[in-house]
Amino acid sequence: MAKNNRQIKDIWLYLYFPLLPLEALLPQLSTEQRQKPIAVIDLQKNTQRVLCCNSQASAWGIEPSLSVSTALALCPELIVLPRQIGSEQDCQQQLALLSYRFTPLVIVHDHVGLWLDIAGCDQLFKGYNNLLGKLETQLQHQGITSVNGIGPNPLAAQLLCQSRFQTELPSDREIQHRLTTTALHQLKTSRKQQQSFKQLGLRTLGDLLALPRTELSRRFDGQLMDSIAQLNNEQPFNAPYFKPANSFRDLIQNPQGLFNKESLLFPMKILLQRLCNYLIARQCHCQEIEWHFEPLIGESRQMRIQLSGSQNSWGNLLMLSRLQLEQLELPGSVEQIILTTDQFVDMPMGMFNLDLFGDSDSAQQSCDLIDSLNARLGIEALSQPVLNQDYLPEQASTLAAPGQHIKTTINDRLKAPQPVWLLTEPAPVQMRNQQLYWHQPLSIISGPERLCGNWWQAEQQRDYYLACDSRGARYWLYRETSSQRWFVHGLFS
Amino acid sequence: MANPETISGLLTRQDTWRGRSQRRSRPVAPTGYSSLNLLLQGGWPTASVTELLPRQFGIGELSLLLPLLKDHSNNSRLCLWLDPPYQPYAPTLAAAGIALERLLVVRSKNPREWLWAAEQSIRSGALLLAWARQQAPRYTDLRKLQLAAADSSNAAFLFSSVSSLAAPSPVALRLELESLQVNKLLLTVRKMRGAAPGAQLQLPLTGPDTQTAQRTHLTQLPADRHYSYEGYSGHSPARLKS
Repeated sequence: MAKNNRQIKDIWLYLYFPLLPLEALLPQLSTEQRQKPIAVIDLQKNTQRVLCCNSQASAWGIEPSLSVSTALALCPELIVLPRQIGSEQDCQQQLALLSYRFTPLVIVHDHVGLWLDIAGCDQLFKGYNNLLGKLETQLQHQGITSVNGIGPNPLAAQLLCQSRFQTELPSDREIQHRLTTTALHQLKTSRKQQQSFKQLGLRTLGDLLALPRTELSRRFDGQLMDSIAQLNNEQPFNAPYFKPANSFRDLIQNPQGLFNKESLLFPMKILLQRLCNYLIARQCHCQEIEWHFEPLIGESRQMRIQLSGSQNSWGNLLMLSRLQLEQLELPGSVEQIILTTDQFVDMPMGMFNLDLFGDSDSAQQSCDLIDSLNARLGIEALSQPVLNQDYLPEQASTLAAPGQHIKTTINDRLKAPQPVWLLTEPAPVQMRNQQLYWHQPLSIISGPERLCGNWWQAEQQRDYYLACDSRGARYWLYRETSSQRWFVHGLFS
Repeated sequence: MANPETISGLLTRQDTWRGRSQRRSRPVAPTGYSSLNLLLQGGWPTASVTELLPRQFGIGELSLLLPLLKDHSNNSRLCLWLDPPYQPYAPTLAAAGIALERLLVVRSKNPREWLWAAEQSIRSGALLLAWARQQAPRYTDLRKLQLAAADSSNAAFLFSSVSSLAAPSPVALRLELESLQVNKLLLTVRKMRGAAPGAQLQLPLTGPDTQTAQRTHLTQLPADRHYSYEGYSGHSPARLKS
């Protein structure tokens, strides 16, 4: 069987989403409403007709192409929704992104389905059947009903679309057999051509393909000839491949409004899961995500989350968002949640490296800690001491935001001991009876050490001394040579 | 039906007392001072919070931890300083061999944030040095931190004021620090698991040798003499550039 599968050079998968118009609108409905009969309607031949409906509606006898009035007569409590092409397209883009994780060759078919070239993708998933199985689970997870067709070329795959999702790859012979027995009316051609098929007594695709090509080209137009050429793998399929967008923006609308923070978490989770799909497809990491919470009336609130390291799991992102959300004041009800990000970095090679020394684990933990502290306490609460090449102590040691560390060499030209603590502002020292006094009397132990700096601006010349108090604490004092005033600048510890 | 996993889990806990059995050696981290290792039965207890109670800041309380900080930061693990009383001075820390990029200073705005940040950092494997806020942490807060440390087997240090000695504390080790003279600390064990309190140790700190230095009275200061650092005396721009 496996050998048999290998002989197929091209394997195309056609995914068709029969209930997409309905399923794209479901997230806007409340859970209660979803249990009721729902139908999506569209304008067909100047009449509003049912496009698709859920199983509850089918139980009432509602089926596609019924007019709205008939449908409502059959089931008075039917929820009728007008079709929204926009949300269907968004939904389809997400499905394309999801399929992109299975194969790099995805083609979007108008707003009906997707073509996937899965040839050669079996190694990664340990067999085509595994791949199909995983794809089905993923699609079900998204809440999308899907059926598929498998064939040696895109057109054949579309023609062979079954009424269910097949998770087993059919053999070559089976595909050929199915293709020849396909009824001709499934081929998208003009009514006139369908009639001439009938007149010629052609019923299946096999009948048509059995005829000599020259005879056919005399009777039928170029479009059909193109289709036949494509079915025979003689003509390439011309369509642009799907590519993930350069930045991520997604939203969830909630017409009823969300009134508390807890209820925001579920749509946020969905958005983050979509973001993660996007990031996996693009093989990159994001460094920052931004949330917008928009009420119907009034100003929207924003929330920005900085990420220090390789955080790509939606669980982590949700945890960080949640921490920051606790601090945020939200409008009374939120109608729309938007998630955007456009700051990406390539996925570090470390993801694929063998972790020999176990360092990355603790590094990951540190990153997680920094991110959660950032999210809960705010960015300004975190800092790191940074060494600068400067003579003045307050400039030699500064605080910077974490993660922006630059390695500098140690300026060890000072012989005298230096303190561990530095006062943010040098504190003036009083003089009492020829004795230095800061909280308590201080006496000089050693010094001075002269420091000059900043001569290009306002010149500073300081003599640094080591002093201690009666209880053994040591201080770093200096005397400004120009003003002869004393200051405490640091504490030894 | 007793679950053997639960029992073995209980037995590995530090706070499970086992009758008649030999006292298990507890996990420690060496302090870098041999006499202090001896006093603390091996070193700083990991998997627990250590409370350090200096009589005042600046007597050398941080020098005690510098060797541990150096080890920890060079093992590419994060050291988190929560609400330090002053700004850490980078050149000294770098000279002590501490990797500055592994040092994180966190400022909390209220006791709730303080407790949350402390617990998070203990649980995620960072070495925590926390300074108590003006309002000393409550017993339940300390217990929370102690449990977090026991769960994650990480060492954590808390600096509180001596006045909190009057209150009981759930931490495993409480050390009172006072200065005998410059560069010499007197450590008094106020509480230690598995040992009687009251043990004392005089610890000379490795630091600038100021023992021999004479205390100078202000009037005796050498007003005109200056020890300028090497290669640079005076402050002419041309000399400075070289």
